[in-house]
Amino acid sequence: MIAAKHDAFAALADPTRRRLLELLARSELRVNDMARRFDVSRPAISQHLRVLRDAGLVRETRVGRERHYRLRARPLRHVYDWVRRYEKFWDESLRKLGDTLDRDDL
Amino acid sequence: VKSIHREVVFPHPPERVWKALTDPRILGMWLMEADGFEPRVGCRFRFRTKPAPGFDGIIHCVVIDAEPPSRLTYTWASGKQRSTTVRWQLHPHSDGTRLVLDHDGFGGVAGWVLKTMLGRGWGHKLRDYMPLLLERLAATADNPDGISREGLLECASPRT
Repeated sequence: MIAAKHDAFAALADPTRRRLLELLARSELRVNDMARRFDVSRPAISQHLRVLRDAGLVRETRVGRERHYRLRARPLRHVYDWVRRYEKFWDESLRKLGDTLDRDDL
Repeated sequence: VKSIHREVVFPHPPERVWKALTDPRILGMWLMEADGFEPRVGCRFRFRTKPAPGFDGIIHCVVIDAEPPSRLTYTWASGKQRSTTVRWQLHPHSDGTRLVLDHDGFGGVAGWVLKTMLGRGWGHKLRDYMPLLLERLAATADNPDGISREGLLECASPRT
């Protein structure tokens, strides 16, 4: 599980893979659908998809001879929460700054 | 890329706001204990707060810009995080001071999520995509497996 966690970050570090995830957030796609939209070969797309799948970021299903891919957003949820916590930290701090500025004994 | 951006108007003159941003005694009241802080370029100091799992409670900082009472910028790094930048700008305002905070420089995954969430530097496609993504994120919120806090801290580290 540790390895998979680290893979999620490595997987997202690549701009092509991030663009693939953006596409997959909209709909389920086949490798050909994705290859058509990128200036990247089909095998290269497959390689990227393998990295994303191993990182738990996409789910692969077989439909006949084809593989369909869809986004699995669960790992992103945690990154999103982390960012939200940072925003909350600053909002809270600015609120406390306002209270502090209002003090007579500053 | 602007990552976290906030603007607040305080009914106090810039000099008073500046003091609250730069006096370690006052910083301790609203932000964190600031060991060794002086608003002087090159000053190395540490913010200190309660430790948490995966976080020793210490933020390492270096002042990179200080112009009283209008500008203060320091680098901000904790744990394995890549150094980010916290910038304060104080603008005179009819009601007192308009304080602008920018926390920038998040790299890696955190940087991507921030950019994505805030929609900066992305085209109209993003605006179509983000609600979908967030919907999916919400749908998976109850699932406990995923990434540890250690991993999250690391997600702000360089991945080059």
